[in-house]
Amino acid sequence: MTAAVVSVTSPVSVDSLCVAYRSGGRDVPVVREVSLEVLPGQTLALVGESGSGKSTVAATLLGHLRHGSRVTGGSVRVDGADVFALPARELRRLRGGTVAMVAQNAGHALTPSMRIGRQIKEAGGDIPVVDLLEQVRLPRPAELARRYPHELSGGQQQRVAIAMAIAARPKVLVLDEPTTGLDVVTQRGVLDLIGALRDELGLSAVLVSHDLGVVAHMADEVAVLRSGRIVEAAPTGRLFAAPQDPYTGRLLASVPRLDDEGLARVGETGGREVRPKAVIPEEAPVAVSVRDVTIDYGSSRAVDGVSFDVRRGEVLALVGESGSGKSTLAWALAGLRTPSGGTMTHGPGHDGDPGAGDLARPAGKRPSALRRRVQLVFQNADTSLNPRRSVGDAVRRPLRFFGTTDSRAATAARARQLISDVRLDPALAERLPAQLSGGQRQRIGIARALAGEPDVLVADEITTALDVSVQADVLRLLDDLRRERELACLFISHDLAVVRGIADRVVVLWRGVVVEEGPTDAVFSAPGHPYTRQLMAAVLEPDPGARIVVAPAPGWVDAAEGGDLWVAPGGGHRVRRWRAAG
Amino acid sequence: MLSFIARRVLAALGTLVLSSVLVFLAVQALPGDVATQVLGKDATPDAVAALREKLRLDQPAWERYADWIGGAVQGDFGSSLVSGKAVGGEVGMYLGNSALIALVTVLFAVTGSIVLGILAGLYRDRWPDHLISTVSLVGMSVPEFVVATVLVLVFSVALPWFPAVVLYGPEASVGRLMPAVWLPALALAIVMAAYIVRMARTSVIDVMASEYVTTARLKGLSGWRVVTRHALPSALLPTLHVIALNVAWLAGGVAVVENVFNYPGIGKLMLASVQNRDLPVIQAIALISAVVYVVCNLAADLGAMALNPKLRTRGRTR
Repeated sequence: MTAAVVSVTSPVSVDSLCVAYRSGGRDVPVVREVSLEVLPGQTLALVGESGSGKSTVAATLLGHLRHGSRVTGGSVRVDGADVFALPARELRRLRGGTVAMVAQNAGHALTPSMRIGRQIKEAGGDIPVVDLLEQVRLPRPAELARRYPHELSGGQQQRVAIAMAIAARPKVLVLDEPTTGLDVVTQRGVLDLIGALRDELGLSAVLVSHDLGVVAHMADEVAVLRSGRIVEAAPTGRLFAAPQDPYTGRLLASVPRLDDEGLARVGETGGREVRPKAVIPEEAPVAVSVRDVTIDYGSSRAVDGVSFDVRRGEVLALVGESGSGKSTLAWALAGLRTPSGGTMTHGPGHDGDPGAGDLARPAGKRPSALRRRVQLVFQNADTSLNPRRSVGDAVRRPLRFFGTTDSRAATAARARQLISDVRLDPALAERLPAQLSGGQRQRIGIARALAGEPDVLVADEITTALDVSVQADVLRLLDDLRRERELACLFISHDLAVVRGIADRVVVLWRGVVVEEGPTDAVFSAPGHPYTRQLMAAVLEPDPGARIVVAPAPGWVDAAEGGDLWVAPGGGHRVRRWRAAG
Repeated sequence: MLSFIARRVLAALGTLVLSSVLVFLAVQALPGDVATQVLGKDATPDAVAALREKLRLDQPAWERYADWIGGAVQGDFGSSLVSGKAVGGEVGMYLGNSALIALVTVLFAVTGSIVLGILAGLYRDRWPDHLISTVSLVGMSVPEFVVATVLVLVFSVALPWFPAVVLYGPEASVGRLMPAVWLPALALAIVMAAYIVRMARTSVIDVMASEYVTTARLKGLSGWRVVTRHALPSALLPTLHVIALNVAWLAGGVAVVENVFNYPGIGKLMLASVQNRDLPVIQAIALISAVVYVVCNLAADLGAMALNPKLRTRGRTR
C-alpha cells in the first residue's frame, strides 16, 4: 500500500485580493493584490497604520465588506471554501462555525439590550455558556451570564467577546485590534488568554494590530500593509530583527521603548536617534502644587491624598491602569471636578488676590486670568472638536474668549500662528475636523489649548488613539513646546514606554493613591513598588525575543500606616510601604 | 428600578396638578368675571347675579379650585351651563366615541408606521425606502382636514363604501358608529404615521450601522434574528417618545377631523362648548387632554425602561 498523499488545505488562503469602494462615481481601491496564507495552528499578523486596509482584509475572511465596498478581484478561501462565492446560507454557517471574529471594541460590539449569556448562546455550538465564561477566566460565570454588557468592565467585555467567538469551536479566529482600547495590564491578561485558547484549541488566527509590541508577542508570521498593499511579509523573528522594507524599519523604530532615555527621532531608513531630555534649571518655579487632594464620586473615593509639584518646563507623568484615578486628577486640575479635600494651587503669588491661584475651584468660578493659565488637551481630538466648525474656529474661539487679541484680523493672524506653531500648514484652518487625519486633529487640540497662553498643560492620554509614527510626532511636538514655552506639563498615560521617553518625573497611581514617585530614570531603573513592576512587565516590547525588563511582581499588600508611609531610596525617589502577601 | 418608576409617576402627578391649576387660572383670568363672560354683554344684572350665585363666584378662588379638583378626581365636573346635565356624564359619552376612533387610529398608525419605518430603514436607498419616505413626507405636509376631505371624496363619493358624515347623535351604539369610524381613523393615521415612519427609519439606519449589529451578523445569525433581537430594541427607543407625542396629539387632531365627518366625539363637543361658552365642559376637556398627554409620556418612559437595560439596572451594584 502506497502512502496516500494527503493534501492539506490551509485554513486561510487569500489570493491577489482587490477591494474598492465607490466614491464620486469611481472606484477607490482600498486593498490591492493582497495574497496571504495561514497554516494550521499559526498566527498571522496584519500590521499597518490606519487606512492601510488591514481591517478590510481581515473582515473579508468572514465575507464581510463595509457598506459600499466590493471585491474587484482575487479570492478569499477559508477552510477550502471560496467565501465570496458561497450562497447566503453557507456563508452564515461559515461565520461563527468555521471562522469567528473578535472585534476591536467589545463595549460597542455587544448588543446593549441583551444579556451576556444569551448573546453567547446565540453564537451556536453546544458548549454550555457557563463553561465558556469559565474558559475565558471570568469570575462567577453563572451570575455574569445574567448581566448586561454595560455592567462589565472593558476587559471583561473583551473576554465575553472572546467566549462568543470560540463558542462554536471555529477553526480560524480573526482578531481585529482585540486589545486596543484596554490599558496595559488588562491588555496583557487578554492577550495571554487568547494565546492560551489558541494553543489549546489548535486555532489558526489572523491578528490585526497597529501595536508592534502586541504583534511581536503573538504572531508567527507578519504581513506589513501600507495603502492596501503588502510591503513586507516574513516570519516574526526575521521581520523584527532585520526588516527589509524601509517602511517596516521606520514603523519599528517609531515604537517607544522602555529603555529609551528620551524621545527617539526616526530617520528615513529607520535609524533611531534619542534626544536627551531637557535639563530643568534648579530655580525653575513651581507651576502647580497639589497637596493631599482627595476626589470622591458619590461614596467611592477616586483619588485619595495625592500630593505633587510640577515646575515650569517639566513633564510630570501620572501613570496607572484604568480606574487608578489619573484622569480624575487631570480633570480636577482643569476645573472639571471639584476635589473634596486638600489644596491645588497655581504658581507663585498672584498679586495679592488669595483666590487667584486656587485650582480647587471649578473652571467656571476661576478668574479668567487663571483659567487660561491651565489648559487641558483631550484624549480624543475627533470627539472634542465641534464637527461642524472649522478647526481654525476652534483655535480662534478661545483667543476671542480670553481677549488675548483685540481685533478680528489680529485673532485670525494669531490663530494661523498657533496652527503653524504645532507644525501644521495654516491653510488647514478652514477645514472641518473630519477632513483632517487623527494626528492633525490632535495637533489642533494642542493649538486650541495653547491659545490661552497657558503655563500648565494637562495632556490626558493624548497619543493613545494614534498610530505609532504619528504618536512619535505628537510627542516630539509636545517636547518642543515645553522647551520653547517652559510649559509645565502633566502627562497622563498608561503606556510606560511613552512615559519613559517624555517625562522627567513619574507618579504611579494605584486605586487613587500614589505608590511610587521619582525621577523617570530612577523609577525605571529601580522600580521599588510591585505595582510599578507589574505595569512595566505588562509593556510589550516590539521584539519577539525581548528579555524581561523586570522580574514579575510578587503578591503584595499595602503596608503604609499612620505617619510612616514611605521608603525613600533618595534623590526624590520614594516608594509607598508594602510587604509580600501571605 | 422601583425608585425610577416612583419618580416618574410622581413627576407625572405633579405635571397634572400644575396643569389643572393652569386650566383653572386661565378661566379665572378672563376679563370681567365668568358670569358676564358666559351671559354676554346684554345680560340683565339679575341673570348675572343668579349665575354668580350658582357658580359661587363670591367665594375665594382657591376654595373653588379645591371644590372643582376634588369633584374632578371623582368624575364630577359640575353641570353644563347650557344643557344643565352633569358635565362628567356628557363628556364621558363623547369621549367614549372619540376613544373608538383613537383606538383604531393608534392600532393602525403605530403598528403600520413602525413596520414601514423598519422596512424603509432596512432597504435604505432602494425602492421600498424611496416609496415609503416620499409617501410619508406627503402625509406629513398635508393638513389632516385635507386628507379627510380627499378620503371622503374617494371612499364615500366616488366609491360609496363608507358614510361621509355621521347622522347619529352621541348616544349611538358602538355598532352603529363603527362604519363611520374608519375614514376619520384613516385620515388621522396617515398624518400621524408620517412622523413615526421618519423617526423609525432614521433610528433603524443608525442601529443597523452599529458595531453590535455587525458583530451579530458575523456570528452567522439570520437576517431576521439580527433585526428582531439585536437591532429593534435599540432602534425603537427613540421612536417610542415620538409615538407618545403623536398619540397625545390625537387629542387635538381628532377635533378637526370629527368636524369634517360630523362625528359625535370630544372634538365636536369642544367646538360646541366654545361657541356656547360652556366653561365647565371646556375645563373638563382641557383637563382630560392634559391627562392624555401625561399618561402617554409616562407610558413612553416606562416602555423605554423595558427596552433599555441601562435604565433598569441603575443602582444595582457591579
